Amino acid sequence: MRKAVGPIARRSEVIRQQRERGGWVAAVLPIHYPRALLRSFDLLPIEVWGPPGIDPDHGAAHVQAYVCSIVRNALSFILSGGLDVADVIMVPHTCDSLQGLGSLLLDLVRPRQPVVPFYLPRGERECDIQFLAEEFRAISRQLEEITGRSPSLLELIECVKRDEEADGLLGSLHHRRNELALNSYEFYRVLRAREYLPSEDFVELARSCLACAAEAPNVGVPLILSGIVPEPMSMLALIDELGARIVADDLACCGRRLYPNGVSEDPFVRMAERIVRSAPDPTRGSPLADRSEHLLRLAAGSEARAVVFHGVKFCEPELFDLPVLREELKRAGLPSVIIEVDLNDPLSHQVRTRLEALLEMIR
Amino acid sequence: MSVGRKMVYHVNVNLLGRAVLRWHRLKAERRGGAPRGWKQEYLAPPLSISPRTKELISRHYLAGRYAHLGRKVAWVTSGAPVELLKALDYYVLYPENHAAVCGTVRACVEISGEAENAGYSRDLCSYARTDIGSALSGKTPVGKLPKPDLLLACTNICQTVLAWYRVLAQHFRVPLILIDTPFLFGEASEHVITYVRRQLEEAVPVAETVAGKRFVERRFEEVTQRSRMASQLWLEILERNHHQPAPLSVFDQFIQMAPIVEMRGDGFTVDFYAALLREVDQRIAQGVGAVTKEKRRLLWDNLPVWYRLRYLAEFLAERGVAVVASTYTNAWGELAPMMDVNRPWDSMVRTYLHPILNRGTGHKLATMIRMIEQYELDGAILHSDRSCKPYSIGQMDQRDHLVRECGRPALLLEADHNDPRSYAEEQVANRLDAFLEMLGV
Repeated sequence: MRKAVGPIARRSEVIRQQRERGGWVAAVLPIHYPRALLRSFDLLPIEVWGPPGIDPDHGAAHVQAYVCSIVRNALSFILSGGLDVADVIMVPHTCDSLQGLGSLLLDLVRPRQPVVPFYLPRGERECDIQFLAEEFRAISRQLEEITGRSPSLLELIECVKRDEEADGLLGSLHHRRNELALNSYEFYRVLRAREYLPSEDFVELARSCLACAAEAPNVGVPLILSGIVPEPMSMLALIDELGARIVADDLACCGRRLYPNGVSEDPFVRMAERIVRSAPDPTRGSPLADRSEHLLRLAAGSEARAVVFHGVKFCEPELFDLPVLREELKRAGLPSVIIEVDLNDPLSHQVRTRLEALLEMIR
Repeated sequence: MSVGRKMVYHVNVNLLGRAVLRWHRLKAERRGGAPRGWKQEYLAPPLSISPRTKELISRHYLAGRYAHLGRKVAWVTSGAPVELLKALDYYVLYPENHAAVCGTVRACVEISGEAENAGYSRDLCSYARTDIGSALSGKTPVGKLPKPDLLLACTNICQTVLAWYRVLAQHFRVPLILIDTPFLFGEASEHVITYVRRQLEEAVPVAETVAGKRFVERRFEEVTQRSRMASQLWLEILERNHHQPAPLSVFDQFIQMAPIVEMRGDGFTVDFYAALLREVDQRIAQGVGAVTKEKRRLLWDNLPVWYRLRYLAEFLAERGVAVVASTYTNAWGELAPMMDVNRPWDSMVRTYLHPILNRGTGHKLATMIRMIEQYELDGAILHSDRSCKPYSIGQMDQRDHLVRECGRPALLLEADHNDPRSYAEEQVANRLDAFLEMLGV
């Protein structure tokens, strides 16, 4: 079978290209944000999930040791100049820790770039959509001031539709992952290119992958991966090495962001609808019943035989749900395992042992 | 409610229960004075209102024990707009307060252990673990907690409460009302106010359905009025500490704040704080300070360390240090001016959007600086509370600002509000000693 993916442009290269053609860059913290709105201002969103493996000392001078490594690393990265390339820093209110980071950056540890925080509503009601749409309108006014640009509604709706196309293809990649001749590591490299590639480039990448899709034999124990972000990525290679494969995910950076198309003709409402109506997510306050149903549906659809909960240490939204989710999965005959990591730690032997134990149990 | 159930409730709660608790209170008041081991040379005698505080809290939990006989029960977060539920005659339970009671009597480790055994991580908030452990096991130091018919979570103190109440909703299979109060990085904009108002209005029919009663606006106004009066009195009590020596330490405040948190909106809470204010004024008139030889005055930031209140009070008092103000106890009074009985809905939106925990790190720093000036404080202890990230993130920079820009020594003290396993006494004592040396005591 032909290899389904060629070289993927690196972040630095994509940023350089954006700069060269006169565009701006927005560094965006996890998880949900109005990507299309940023693009309408010619701001390329570059997501910052940590990043892993950096010197956390700068951050450690400002936040306590019991704050997760995503926030600590992000702060370190900002303070050490790692995000100097960005013109704007966007901080969605994802959790108490990211709230703290946003507030610190606005009030006490000011970076050179403007900081744009916004609040993510925790419900799925009509009022939540309306509120989020208004938040996006407020961000738009702020970006007008920062960039001096005023994109029209037509331009914005075009960006939204381009995003919908890219996310539709992202969904196809998820659903047809078994047909792509990619191992887990390669597959998630493709998916995670969505974190920094412009939508139009991601569409091209996704199409080229899907064009090579073909029926492939299902090898390896099918697993679901749930959590925030699959770091260190070497864990994915380990899963392959141990004779397992990820057949579906409930990751904050991937599967929880398979946004459905919006309905409204108002681009602000439409962007809000897409986020509020996406897959269940603890950071959006989704009921636990919805989360367990979603996981069970994923398992049924992918024939997964176990779930790996891969969390970042101190991540409260994830930790609160685990006992109930694991119990519901157990009731349905699906074993699960919890792996907890700090983004700065290499893949540990403990992780290997836990995965091995899980797989032995299934086999 | 059937007549029989009404009778049982009335006899147990209003007649027998009240009588027994009153008798205990009177006995304690007659006995008076300080309990055994009280360090009278450093600390003023306990407040004479203390037996009444205990009676109020006990009565509250006693009413809860029999609540299912006649009232619907709501479990709510500490910053929830409880006036809505009180107007519908709910019995209202505050799991955070219950967890604090568990912490104070040092039952947290055993009860939260039940949650940990069920898979809840020790990295989760110790209030949440204590409460979930209690829900799973039925263990509680207050006898028995009533099961909720309704849950109300308001995100104005943290997102943790929502995660926690989602677990409770799943466990008890009851409706969860969410009042989502967007975090205020700056001022509250119009769409934020509209959003919260809409949620409050949408909450009413849900609460009515569960209660089986109609919401009456007049009753709501009455409850709001009582909330405002109690909060105002609480604020006045705290502000009496402008006086030197301060009549009330924050350790007293931590205990005496229970009614303003969990009995807000009740008439007897207003009476209670009126009585406490009289006692505080009496102390001022008599020149009684909470710390007998007050040499230095400090600010406390963040939640208390519930299981070591007395230790910390004595440790500091022995050295002539009075901790006289706290951003935490202040939070239950500072919003009183926002409560407007003539515009209860609008004022409720504003009040419940503006707790200190729903505002930025800069706002908290400004509050601390203002309190340091108003109370003429010499320094600050910032409790870096492992279980409360929203309160704690920012403290490292806030401390630096206090030291560098206000010239006030400030100490970051690592602990946890409820879980003693995250508290190292020797280390705390060493750090406090070093800090007090800097203060010159």
